[in-house]
Amino acid sequence: MKISKKIIDNLKKGGVDFYLSVPCKLLANMIDILEKDNDVYYSAVPREEEGMGICAGAYLGNKFPCIMMQNTGIGNSVNAIVSLLQLYQMPVVFLISYRGTPGEPVGAQGGMAKITEDILQTLRIPMLHCSSENDLEKISTFSKHSKVVESPVAILCDFNLMKDDK
Amino acid sequence: MNRFDLLNKIQNILKDNLVICNIGLPSQELYKINDQPNFFYMLGSMGLSSSIGLGLSLSQNKNVISIDGDGSVLMNMNTLATIGNRAPSNYTLLIIDNGSYGSTGDQKTFTDENTSLKDVAIGAGCKNVIECSGDETVNELSKAIKDQNNSYVIISKINSGNIKIDPIPLNPITIRDRFRKFIGIVKYL
Repeated sequence: MKISKKIIDNLKKGGVDFYLSVPCKLLANMIDILEKDNDVYYSAVPREEEGMGICAGAYLGNKFPCIMMQNTGIGNSVNAIVSLLQLYQMPVVFLISYRGTPGEPVGAQGGMAKITEDILQTLRIPMLHCSSENDLEKISTFSKHSKVVESPVAILCDFNLMKDDK
Repeated sequence: MNRFDLLNKIQNILKDNLVICNIGLPSQELYKINDQPNFFYMLGSMGLSSSIGLGLSLSQNKNVISIDGDGSVLMNMNTLATIGNRAPSNYTLLIIDNGSYGSTGDQKTFTDENTSLKDVAIGAGCKNVIECSGDETVNELSKAIKDQNNSYVIISKINSGNIKIDPIPLNPITIRDRFRKFIGIVKYL
């Protein structure tokens, strides 16, 4: 819970006040925290691409949105990222559980893990890779950066960082 | 009645509300009829008009109308479940259902065969789902906007057919900023 709480605290410190998620077991604690938090909006959504659309609308309405998802969700959302969020220069934070990184027990997750950073680089999306607790301190500044440069940004949280966050 | 006729008929309702308009011909026709700063024209991301409108209605209090098409809703049907569970009362989804992919040459969609978007929306949990003719749409949309306590999904059954029209000349940041200025967020324009 300590890691998840630190991530949410830093996102809120960075100004993020509108949260969506497509669930992942590594995000479960964060979802629990957000469901009990009356200061921010939170909802689950069925699919990441749709979430990109909802985040775009929330930005138009003056919210600073974050979508939490597995790295697989980036694959589901490429066109929405490019032809909506980037075309109109909309700040959105992607909080990504980085499945398929060392510690991952499910071999099949390795495929998307191998290309996740390549996809984000191709999309020119700034990345913050969190592999230890110290990295989490950078999340608030990095979130603010999304607003300053009017671009989606991606925070990748390694499997091993999240797995023992009981 | 085709989409251009319908958009003409509902102009007076649209002009006072926040409108998210679907990519391609719907946006181009709306722009040609009566361009307004409170119209957000989609230049990409087919399928997401309903979702963008939902996010907008959740984050501020003005009425929001998402103008979508049958082809686009078929592409992003999961969002009907989100609307069915989360749409606030200032949200109206207007699906212009002409049974075809108008912007790509009028290929038939599945609503021209066995699929009923009304049944899908009801099954997804949407409240106040209304299927009506193009002529009835003015009245139904007007009622939906006046009702401050409920969200609506209106499926307007019209004929296919398009007019010859140019792409929207506005740049995306102009669309974004004048829209946010209308809401009262952008002050520098």
